[in-house]
Amino acid sequence: MFCAVSTMTDGDYDYLIKLLALGDSGVGKTTFLYRYTDNKFNPKFITTVGIDFREKRVVYTATNSNGTTGKTFKVHLQLWDTAGQERFRSLTTAFFRDAMGFLLMFDLTSQQSFLNVRNWMSQLQANAYCENPDIVLVGNKADLADQREVQEKQAKELADKYGIPYFETSAATGSEVDKAVITLLDLVMKRMEQCVDKPAQEAPNGDGASKLEAPPPSEKKCAC
Amino acid sequence: MDLSILEALEREKVLEVLQRDKLLRSLEDERIRKMKLELQEIRRKGAKSFARQYSERTCARCQRPLGKFWNCGAVCQGCSHRICNKCRIVISAHEWKCTVCHAFREVKIKSGDWFLEERSKKFPGGAERHETVGEKLLKSYQRLSHISIVPPTPPPFSEGPSFSRSGGLQTSRPFTKSMENLFVSLTSHMKKVSKSQNDVAVVDRALLTADYGKISTKERRSQSDTAINRPFGLTKAPSLPDLFKRPKSEDEEGAGTSEAYTDEDVSPNTEYHEEKRGSISSLCTELGIFTCNNSVTGEIELALGYSIKTSCLEISIRACRNLAYGDPKRKKCHPYVKVYLLPDKSPNRKLKTAVKRNTTDPVFNETLEYQIDGAWLVGRVLQASVWHAGTLKRKVFLGEVLLPLESWDFEHSTTQSTKWHLLCPRVTAPEGPEGGAGEIHHCELMIKAKFTSSPPQLPKAADHQREETHMGQLSILITGANNLAILRSSGSLNSFVKGCLALPSGVELTQKTQVQRRRSGPDWGHRLLFTAVPEASLKGSSLELGLWDHAPFGLPPRPLGRAKLEGAWSLQKLLQTPNMWLEFSLPFHPSANGKKM
Ligand SMILES: Nc1nc2c(ncn2[C@@H]2O[C@H](COP(=O)(O)OP(=O)(O)OP(=O)(O)O)[C@@H](O)[C@H]2O)c(=O)[nH]1
Ligand SMILES: [Mg+2]
Ligand SMILES: [Zn+2]
Ligand SMILES: [Zn+2]
Repeated sequence: MFCAVSTMTDGDYDYLIKLLALGDSGVGKTTFLYRYTDNKFNPKFITTVGIDFREKRVVYTATNSNGTTGKTFKVHLQLWDTAGQERFRSLTTAFFRDAMGFLLMFDLTSQQSFLNVRNWMSQLQANAYCENPDIVLVGNKADLADQREVQEKQAKELADKYGIPYFETSAATGSEVDKAVITLLDLVMKRMEQCVDKPAQEAPNGDGASKLEAPPPSEKKCAC
Repeated sequence: MDLSILEALEREKVLEVLQRDKLLRSLEDERIRKMKLELQEIRRKGAKSFARQYSERTCARCQRPLGKFWNCGAVCQGCSHRICNKCRIVISAHEWKCTVCHAFREVKIKSGDWFLEERSKKFPGGAERHETVGEKLLKSYQRLSHISIVPPTPPPFSEGPSFSRSGGLQTSRPFTKSMENLFVSLTSHMKKVSKSQNDVAVVDRALLTADYGKISTKERRSQSDTAINRPFGLTKAPSLPDLFKRPKSEDEEGAGTSEAYTDEDVSPNTEYHEEKRGSISSLCTELGIFTCNNSVTGEIELALGYSIKTSCLEISIRACRNLAYGDPKRKKCHPYVKVYLLPDKSPNRKLKTAVKRNTTDPVFNETLEYQIDGAWLVGRVLQASVWHAGTLKRKVFLGEVLLPLESWDFEHSTTQSTKWHLLCPRVTAPEGPEGGAGEIHHCELMIKAKFTSSPPQLPKAADHQREETHMGQLSILITGANNLAILRSSGSLNSFVKGCLALPSGVELTQKTQVQRRRSGPDWGHRLLFTAVPEASLKGSSLELGLWDHAPFGLPPRPLGRAKLEGAWSLQKLLQTPNMWLEFSLPFHPSANGKKM
């Protein structure tokens, strides 16, 4: 089922970036990722069992502080696909801790999937590697305009509330799919730099979101 | 449709995914390994050597001399070393880093270490903190599936009701009931399984160091096998997310042992292993000094201060960064710092910091103190070594710095600003027959020195300048050398010493001792006498002592190494206590070509 591209099996890349897609079952996570990696659309619904991942190599061009384009890097993307079904929940949320960025997806034709975004957010807060990880909110199936249940304004407001970017995509047409992933990748790349450059105390991507400061480590004196 | 069959298929599917993930992970591990090797290379090239560590006027990276007024270098924000223009990497208009600091930063990003570090802030501690969920699941699966294929003889005891003896189908129920239950039951095994793997991992490390490790490996393996059989009976299992929320359990065990251990100097098979590894892997046993290049990375930040009033040497250990993992397999590191004032290695003169858990960037902020008379500081070398406090009382050497105290001008400032020092692999000499196992062999030359003021001369009326110049005699007695491998390996050594006293005026007084046949024991009696030493300029002088081997048949003598007595402090001490022998042990630098026998 997965055709491993031969050039992707070598270690000739600069970064391994692990992203993860989450959201209710049927919103189109698997289809979205398939579109992104293989630029194809699968109209059949085959629900994901537990977890899966896809890979893609992209060339990332850094932007310098003065806005000019800088060095280019080869990025190996590992895109984790999680099952939206409830019964896999404990498994899928466990995988949240290994991802560096998240595509939080809902179905524009399902109000319920949008309402559940809040729940997914709190799952992320609990399980992701940090309190405020990089997330992109994705409203999928934009091509099904006549079935739309979630208005752009609504979704945009929610995204603003969380301080995260929002995209309306279509895995069927491919619209905005790349842009959503690249935006997330960009956030993660910036986060890496901030993490190593900022002194330990400062929270990266500090956008006002309060972050609990870890208490000072208890000084354990060696007995001898 | 049979539900249990469907879920067996589901399991297969997830396993296949985890296998693919494993492939990617091994690719990634290899990439990171290479990257860190390259970093090591950069680090080594740009490291100030022991001998040159304290000459401020060279670039810390390329060692090119720096001028006083032009091309005088600037201090790197990252490592506080003075760096020339060429060894800087400009980040922005007003920001640059030295080549080594820049490389460190790059590796931290590209290896994903930034991520692990960030995550450990949210999920601190935890033995499995670097293992991915996929990795863990796969491992526990493999263990379990292995067992289910070859069913063990009925376990001697059953701990829970889910394991009933009624039939084989029942036995496999926990695995097929449902997908979720499967993972839940897995997590309960995970801890036990990973624990038994850890045991094996520890022994595997020991294998590197000694052959006899093999026997114990077997023992361990069979032990861990039985440990795997047991979880069959477990029923109450933590949910998967729970498992990661409580990562402490195993580690707390570790904390217990590390605090319980007494002393690595007392337990012989701890540090010993590390030393042994170096000597096995090295072929340069005839060399006076060699380094064991196990993976030493990182730096240590410390400051020194000495109070003459209270005779107290303060060593404040601030932090370390970018340490190597003490346990690379499990990516664990519980570092602490140990301090000696070499050559004194007596256990009661050892000071240690607290152990910091699960970090390669520990912050200690501890001040260690030695009550020591200033006279005894001269020629001492501060050895600050970083160790990983492993389980089972194992200590793993992570690197050290050697700071000759001579270079600190204690007289002029009581405290020194903190500085980052690159950790170096251990400098050891091969174990001699009399050398204690695991001992550090720093070469040093033992000398005694005495300054004698000449009897006041009657001033000559015509010579006013003479009047003020008190002359004296400097007597030097070279009593022996410590840990000089050359002395052990070569059959006969006919040594002599050349001494060169360089006065601040530029005048150099040279003296040579008689050739001395080798004696057993460190009781040489090389004697040098410098007469007509102007008393006032002794303080600014330096005495270089070269040890030579006199060659027979008119061949040129062979240099063995050299040591230096210098520094205002030690020489002034001689002036203050005239006619008294003062003892010094000077760091001895064996000659590079001394190895040619
Ligand atoms: N028209 C249209 N259909 C889509 C789009 N994206 C996904 N689908 C369809 O929606 C159905 C569900 O998509 P999946 O990608 O399997 O859903 P999922 O989020 O992976 O679901 P789970 O694996 O159960 O969590 C499939 O039939 C897709 O073809 C889209 O953008 N437009
Ligand atoms: Mg899916
Ligand atoms: Zn330089
Ligand atoms: Zn630097």
